[in-house]
Order: sequence, then C-alpha cells, then structure tokens
Amino acid sequence: MSIVLWNVNRIYQSGEVNVHALKNASIEIPDKQIVAILGPSGSGKSTLLNVIGGIDRHDEGEITVHDHDLTKMKDKELTEYRRNTLGFIFQQYNLMPTLTVEENVEVGKELSQNPLNMKDTLEKVGMWDKKDKFPYQLSGGEQQRVAIARALIKNPRVLLCDEPTGALDEETGKKILSLLKYVNETYGTTVCIITHNNGIGEMAHKVVRMKSGEIIEHYYNEEPVDPEKVKWV
Amino acid sequence: MILRKSILRQFKEKKFQYFGVIILLLLSIMLYVSMSMGISTLDNRNDQFKEEYMQEDFHMILANEVSSDQLEEWEKNYNLSLEERLYGDIPYNGNGTTLRLFSNTNKINIPYASEGKLPEEADEIALSPVFAKAHHITVGDEIDVKGRTLKVTGLVYLPDYIYVLERESDLLSDPNTFGIGMTTEHTLQSIADKTVTQILGNEASEEERNAFKSAVTENYSLLKWMNQEENPRIQFVESEIESSETMITTLPLFILALSVFMVLMIMKRRLEMQRKEIGTMKALGYRNSELTKHYMMYATIIGLVGSILGVTAGAALSIPITDLYSNYFNLPSISYFDWDPRVLVIGFFVPNIILLIMTYFVIKKPLQQSPLDLLRPKDTSKGKKSLLERLPIINKGSFISRFRIRLLARSKARAVYILLGVMFSSILLIFGATMYKGMDGIVDSTYKDIMTYNYAAHFKTLQQEETTKGESPFTVAEADIIEINGEKAKEIEQQSMIYGIEPDTEHIQLQTEDGKLLHSTLKNGVVLSEPFASALGLSKGDTITLENAYNNKTIEKEVTGIAKVYIGFSIYSERSEVNEFLGYPKGVYTAKWTEDKPDNSEDVLFIENKQDIIENFESTSSLTRYSVFGIAGFAFLIGVIVLTLITNLIVEENSPSISLFKVMGYKDQEISRLMINVYTPIVLLGFLLSVPIGILSIEQLMNSIVEQTGFAMPVQLSWLMILISLMIILFTYYVSLFLSRRKLKNVSLQEALNKQQD
Ligand SMILES: Nc1ncnc2c1ncn2[C@@H]1O[C@H](COP(=O)(O)OP(=O)(O)OP(=O)(O)O)[C@@H](O)[C@H]1O
Ligand SMILES: [Mg+2]
Repeated sequence: MSIVLWNVNRIYQSGEVNVHALKNASIEIPDKQIVAILGPSGSGKSTLLNVIGGIDRHDEGEITVHDHDLTKMKDKELTEYRRNTLGFIFQQYNLMPTLTVEENVEVGKELSQNPLNMKDTLEKVGMWDKKDKFPYQLSGGEQQRVAIARALIKNPRVLLCDEPTGALDEETGKKILSLLKYVNETYGTTVCIITHNNGIGEMAHKVVRMKSGEIIEHYYNEEPVDPEKVKWV
Repeated sequence: MILRKSILRQFKEKKFQYFGVIILLLLSIMLYVSMSMGISTLDNRNDQFKEEYMQEDFHMILANEVSSDQLEEWEKNYNLSLEERLYGDIPYNGNGTTLRLFSNTNKINIPYASEGKLPEEADEIALSPVFAKAHHITVGDEIDVKGRTLKVTGLVYLPDYIYVLERESDLLSDPNTFGIGMTTEHTLQSIADKTVTQILGNEASEEERNAFKSAVTENYSLLKWMNQEENPRIQFVESEIESSETMITTLPLFILALSVFMVLMIMKRRLEMQRKEIGTMKALGYRNSELTKHYMMYATIIGLVGSILGVTAGAALSIPITDLYSNYFNLPSISYFDWDPRVLVIGFFVPNIILLIMTYFVIKKPLQQSPLDLLRPKDTSKGKKSLLERLPIINKGSFISRFRIRLLARSKARAVYILLGVMFSSILLIFGATMYKGMDGIVDSTYKDIMTYNYAAHFKTLQQEETTKGESPFTVAEADIIEINGEKAKEIEQQSMIYGIEPDTEHIQLQTEDGKLLHSTLKNGVVLSEPFASALGLSKGDTITLENAYNNKTIEKEVTGIAKVYIGFSIYSERSEVNEFLGYPKGVYTAKWTEDKPDNSEDVLFIENKQDIIENFESTSSLTRYSVFGIAGFAFLIGVIVLTLITNLIVEENSPSISLFKVMGYKDQEISRLMINVYTPIVLLGFLLSVPIGILSIEQLMNSIVEQTGFAMPVQLSWLMILISLMIILFTYYVSLFLSRRKLKNVSLQEALNKQQD
C-alpha cells in the first residue's frame, strides 16, 4: 500500500492573485521507500507534503494514503489519521522549550498505541546521554535529532520531513540523513524528504522533481547511495 | 499527559506573572468571603436575637402611669402583647459617661446573658459586653456607681439596644461615653435620680398597632411613640447589612474582573509564544480537545490556588471583621455557626467558573487554527493597520515616536487594562479621600455652622415660661412628608421631625451650602435638612404636604431652601406655625436651646450636650478614618500588582525587539522609556476619568443609603486631596516601572539572535 496522488491541485488565494501551488500533481509514493522531493524554492514542495500530511487541503484531485481517502475526511478524521499514521519533521524543530529532551519525545510517544522504546529511540538519534537537557541547551543539529525522535517514537508508517537538514551543516546533516535511512530500513517506514539540496536525491529510492507547482520528473534510483556519500550542495 | 510538566515549569519561570494574578484573585475572593461572612454572621445573629428574645415592635412613654389592669385590657382588645420596663440614666465615673440601667423583662426585649447571670438580688448589675470591655470591667468585679458598690453578675445584651445610642437622633455609638446595663427594679429606683417607664409592645399587626396608638392618644398624653421600623437602635444593623451588600459584591467583582482579564491576556500570550509548538503537536496528531485541556490547566491551577487560598484567608479574616462588627452592634452569638456556608461555596465556585469559561473562549479560537497556520510565523501585516497608525501625523514623527505609537496601537488590550487598573485604584483613592473630607464636613457644617447652641433641653410637658437670654425656645414633634407636588411621597423608614423655631434665633443658623441664611424664608414655607431632601429628591420650590403624628393633621408648605444640616430628617418652620399645626396653645414650646447647661428638673425629659455628640462622632469616626487609610493601601496594592503585571507582560512580549535594541546599543533606561513610558498618558487619563466617577459614585452610594442611615455627606473634593491621590497613583506607577525595569535588564542579547532562527 502506498500514497497515491491523482491530479491534485492547490490554489492559494492571496489578495487579488491566485497562486497555483500544485498543478495537476499525480504521483505514487511507494510503501517502505525513501522518496526525495526536489525543486527550487517556491516550487510547491511543502505544499505537496502538507497536503499528503493532511495539514493542508487540496482543492481538486484525489489523495489516498494506505487506502484512506483524504479528500473526504473531516478535520477530526484527519487528526486521527495523522495521529495513527504519520510522523512530521520540520526545518524548525519546534520543541517545547519547557520540556526536557526525554519529555519532548514523550509528547510524541503518548500519541501512539505501539510506540518504540524510549531508550532505544534516543540512543538511535544519539541523544540518550542528553535526555535531561532542555532545548535551549542543545545545538541546532541536536534539537533536530530530538524532533526526529519525537516523530519516530510513534512508530509511524510514514515520516514526512520538510527540509530536515535545512539548518544544519554538512556533517550534522548527513548524520540526520543516515538516521532517516536507518529508520526506513529497520522499521519499514516510508520516508518523504523535501529538500532543495539536489545531492540528497542520490540516497532516495525514488526522486520527484517539481517546478512551479508541477511535477516535472520522477524516477527511481537503481542504487541509492549511502547518505554519508551524497554530494552536499 | 507529559505536557502537564511544562505547566509547572512555566509557573516557575514566570513566577511573577502567575503569582501576581493569583494574588489578585485571592484578594478578590478574600474580600468577598470575609465581608460576606461578617455580614451574614451579623444577619443571622440579628434574626435569631430578634426572634428568640422577642424584640419589641414598638415602645411608648406616657405622661401618666398606667395600671396593670389597663395593660391587660389593651392586650386583650388589640390582640397584642405589652410589658412595662423601667430605665434610668446614671452618671458613671464622673467624667460625662452615662450608664442606662434597665429593669428585667420576661415577655418583650428579653435580656440575654452571654456570661454569668442576670441580676436577681439587690445591688447586682449586668453590663453590656462592649461597655464592660471599654471600661475594663469583668464579671465578678465590684463597681462603684454613684457611691454604691454594685456587683457585676454578668454580661447582658438587650434586643432593642443592638446599636447602642444614647439618643435616637445620635449617629454613632461610643461605649466610652454611653453604655447600657441591667439591674433589679428596686436597685434602679434607689440609685437613679429619675426613672422613666416605657411600655413595650409586640405581636401586633400593623392595623392593630395603629388602632392601639390612636386609642392611647385619645385618653393619655403620649410623650413618645417609637415603632421598631423607625428605631435606629434596631434598624441600624439592618441598614448596615443592606447597604453593605452592594459593596461586598461590586468591589470583589471588580478585582475578579481585573484578575480574569489578566489571566486571559497571559493565556493569549502563552498561546502566541507557543504557536509553532502547538502547530507541530497538531501536525503530530494531537486533538483539539487534548490541547484545550492542556491550556485550560493553567487557568484551573490559578483558579484553584487563588480560590482555595482566598476562601481560607477570607474565612480567617472574617473573624476580626465579625469582632469589629460586634463592637458596633451588640448581638449575642446564640448558636455556634452563625455564618452562611453558601458564602464559601459562592466564593469558591463563582470565580472558578467565570475564569474557566472565559479562558475556554479565549483559547478556543487560536487552538482551532489549522496546524499549517500555526506553523507559519504570525502574519502581522495581514491585520490592517489600525486607524491610529494610519493617522498622518504618526507617520511623520521620529522613529522613536512612531515605534511608540505602533506599540500602543498593537496592544490595545493592554492599554485598556492599564486604564481600567488605574481607574480602579484611583476611584478607590478618591472614594476614600472624599469620605475623609466628608466626615469633617458633616461635623463642621452641622454642628459648628448650623447648630450654634451648646445644649438642648427637651421637656416632658408643654412649656410657657419666658426663656432668658442665651436660650431659644422651639417646638419639636414627629411629622412626615406624605405628598410632594400633589403626588404621594415615598415613605421614609426613619423618624422625621418638624422643628418650630424662632426666625430670629441665634442658636441655629439654617444656611445653604453657599452660606445663605434661610431664616427669612421661613415665613413663606419650610426648610429641609440635606438627608431629607436627598432621600425624597426634593429641591427648593417643591410643594409638600406634612402630616404630624400627634393629631394626624395635614398642612401644605413650599420648600424654601435646603439647609446644610447633614444629619437627620428634619423640617424647619416657624414656631407659631408648628404650634398651630400641632394644635398647641400659642406661645408654647417643648424644648429649648441653651448656651449654658440647663438644670435637670423634673420636667426635663433629657438634655442633649452638643459637645458630647461631637466628641462621640469624632471618636467613632476615627475608625472610618483608619479604614480610609486601609482603602488607600488596598488601592496602592492593587495598582502595583496590576501595573507591574502588565508592564512585565509588555517587556516579555517585546523581548525580541528589546534585545535587538540592546544589540544596537540602546541603554536599558532608553528602552524602558521607549516601551513602557508609552503608558504614562494612559495612567494620567485613567486618573482624570476617575475623579468625576469617584465623586459621582460616592454621591450615588450616599444617596442610596441616606434613607437608612439618615445622614448625607457633603461631597467636596479638595485640590489637595486630588493631588495626594494623584501622587499615590504616580508612585504606584513608578514602583511598577522600577520592577519591570529589572525584568528588562534580564532580557538577553542572545534572544535577538536566537529568535532570528525561527
Ligand atoms: N498560505 C499561502 N498563501 C498564499 N500563497 C502561498 C501560501 N503558502 C504557499 N504559498 C505559495 O505557494 C507556492 C508554493 O509554496 P511552497 O511553500 O510549497 O514552496 P516550497 O517549494 O516549499 O518552497 P521552499 O523551498 O522555499 O520552502 C509559493 O509560490 C508560495 O508563495
Ligand atoms: Mg518549503
């Protein structure tokens, strides 16, 4: 089962002008794979991801995620869908400033029926030894790892990542990418990564390219490279 | 929920904010609970005492003796209950203190012994607890009364002396100069120079009572008739209960409103600060209901802590308040629980329910935004520029002034809050200041400007003897205003009197507030006292119909002026007119004003010493004066909390700009001037608005209680008082500025850079 978009359109009305953020986007995101969505700024990547994630509404077309038809869902059902199926990672980490690392991850854990083990998860992201620190005591990369742990611990079927490395340097960024790949391999989580860093495309099973709201190209990588070896641009 | 942990940490981090609102809430609830409990205790004690100890419905004094057969006959004929009681006034201690001793009764006005027992043997005496306390007497002591040694067997309360006044026309009670007690009839007759027999009555319907009164008037010479409804010794406690009720609810409600408003602002602020986190949580699948519950916890904790502390403190504080009341009102505590448990329930639930409902509505909307909207930085340009910002002048000035105006325009709620907080404190202050001045005014104008006599002697019978120099005769009788300009007038609960005076008397100087003498107008009509005019809404030129209680004759008169007599319901007319009205022979009088102390002859009913009244007033009003300082302190406290909370919030809200300013090299002081001093004009505006509102509200208050209390207050505010109030408000403001400057100092430079990441 996978995520399928069929002729999806999203038009933002801002004042007089209409922004066609998604134009007849049709794409399949195969189950248990890593998909990279590439494209220049403003090309509609985030819009695509948000529509898939049920935090934005599309205007036309159809979206099914593991047989759920998002088109017909009410807000409450969308919440349940996100709660049970999805993990979100944003470029900004948005951790609760008044909660420690462990507690921030707990925020994600509470949502899940069959969460992963706290210690395992924090060790995976390399934050176990800092579990009692507060967000302001962490570097950006560390905060992003906590945010990943928060999404991960839910053991979601799909992990949606919007520019997860956008604020990080090459070394940290690559560590995060390795982590995402590890999650994909270990738990069979479908991972969608948005990035305008074309190099990251090399590590994905499937690459989707966007431009001005349209999907201009999509292809499978024969042999995805190890995240440590991607070209960082 | 793990999020709960974040609440406690938030409370710790923003100690001041949460502590401040909790204190506000606490003050509001404490005030309500303590005063309500005090009043409900008073009310319950009063009701119980009245009923169980058979408070009189009326009492009368006749010029001649009545046989017990006659009493029985009356009881049968008019279906009421009557009992005789003797009393006499005895000088105590030789320094002007009067002790009024009563004989025992067992049907009406039954004495209640709170300690010890009632006197049974000769030379035994029981005293009212307040008097005993004021004169350091305890049960078992022997006291010296007019050379006789009397044994104090107990402490006693009388149902018709709840508010212990020497004379019904007195305003305030003072246990230092007057008290009551009980002794045997025999002892009373042997130590009092003179005793008076009262006939007490109750259990009569109003018609029976009236019929009885007419019958008595026909056959006997009635010196005095006093209905319970007009008896200040009984009514004062009831009017106090009634008039306190508005104060009890409005003041706490105002503070409650201030604290709820503050909680709402803090919550809004919290939500704004955490919008991205909320958005992320929603994206992760948190339900609206879960997040709502989480943010409601803040209000729940504030509400619970504030109300539990407030109710507890209020209950504790009600004890001294009740004590204070029991110094004023002589009411025994007959049952163990006098207070009303409903007060606790209301004090606990009402604030919590209001707080929770309001918070729910304030947080509902932001929490219901889509996660995407929440994740985006708040779109400030989306909101149109406010009218204020679009004014052309604003966009001209310097950067600084533009910045300040924008700040004001962007946080209108805060400006309104400051305005309300300042107004609340200022109104309290002005209220207090007016009271303070008003107390002086009452004494000065009533007793110094108008009543220029020293003594008044009231006689039992009509007098004809020429008065000498230094004396002015007058006739006084009970009379009511029954019609105003041809329409039925409102009934006044208290006794109203008509005074027939000599127009050329030197012993009373009826004058208006502007100092215009009114005596010459008496030939055209009557002059009214200030409380009377204000209770009935009368002014110069109105026509009134008077009815006297003596023979129920009526007469129509024009009101020719309102005299600045601030105490009592009095009508002044010419003596000849009043004598005619009452059907008295020409030239008689019932009382006289004198300069020197008159002799206490057999004929004299009582002598009024003006100096005593003034001293009495001054000594008791000192309590009111202290409470004015209490009010000022309270106003200051509320003001500091409110202003500091708000400036704190403003600093917090603007901390990114503050740290940016700091990075740019602005000094703390300059930044403070930039952000917080913006509110100086609002503080001043709040104060200016409060002056008329404070004066109006005290006028309103005085008008609403004039009918029960029988005194009006000259409402004049001096510039000095305004200035002092303003100083206190400005001081409050600067204290809060000082406190928030410390907060400003703590805003770090890093913050600016950190925030840039978002
Ligand atoms: N709420 C909105 N209202 C109006 N226009 C919007 C809104 N959100 C996005 N857009 C517009 O839709 C288009 C696509 O935006 P989107 O955020 O999907 O781009 P993106 O590919 O994620 O860009 P970036 O790499 O900069 O994040 C842009 O032109 C953007 O201006
Ligand atoms: Mg984007």
